[in-house]
Amino acid sequence: MISLLRTTLYRSMFFTAVWWILIEGKTDSWFVGLISISLALVTSFILLPPNQFRFSFTGFAHFLIYFFGLSLKGGIAVACMAIRPNPDLHPNIFTITPRLPEGLGRAILTNTLNLLPGTLSVDLTLSSLYIHVLDERQSIETEVRSIEEKIAHMLRLELKKS
Amino acid sequence: MSILELCSIVFLVVGAIFFLAGTIGLLRFPDVYTRLHALAKVDNLGLGFTSIGLVFQAPELVIALKIILIWLLALVASSTLSFLIARRAMKRGIIPWRAKEHTI
Repeated sequence: MISLLRTTLYRSMFFTAVWWILIEGKTDSWFVGLISISLALVTSFILLPPNQFRFSFTGFAHFLIYFFGLSLKGGIAVACMAIRPNPDLHPNIFTITPRLPEGLGRAILTNTLNLLPGTLSVDLTLSSLYIHVLDERQSIETEVRSIEEKIAHMLRLELKKS
Repeated sequence: MSILELCSIVFLVVGAIFFLAGTIGLLRFPDVYTRLHALAKVDNLGLGFTSIGLVFQAPELVIALKIILIWLLALVASSTLSFLIARRAMKRGIIPWRAKEHTI
């Protein structure tokens, strides 16, 4: 019960902060704000019931730094491919068995890969994640595994043995 | 010109280059999957650099936070959308383009 209250409190604070930023700190539309925040809170409880994970802020910071580093590296590579006279594309689809448990962790992994240039998740089933890559000559297995570890650390999840 | 303005201009120009490269990729890449790579990724970096460039010009902290928030929300929307488009394309049986079969 106490943990449910705590989750409600944290999430309300989060949505209030988002609303406060969206209306640029003004105070004249709090009525609409209260309705929006309540709806967001209810939706979040439906989509992501509480007590599924614990969030680690240091893990989140590590994840962000790693993510932006990889984004920049991949973004420059994809931008170069687009501009070069001969793009030299070697796309292919790889299958990877995620070590993260089902749920939020896998959803974050799929979305992270989508944002990272050079990888695109095309399907996620119970046992496999299908990843489309722009250059099949570069192995992405180590990259995906290390993103998994960062996410597991951030959400304090246990990785399954692969 | 102040340092802040200079930083702002540098980030905005880098952002514009990423947007340009993303658009060229969208036009040149051979199929829906490779185009999603060009669009989602390069544009996200483009939007990221543009946002950071604009943050340097923000008159108040809350405006700066709002710009960053817009970028983060765009990131979440973009990654989910590209997953949905790619999965739909797979379900419809669109075969990914392979280098051995054609040349551009």
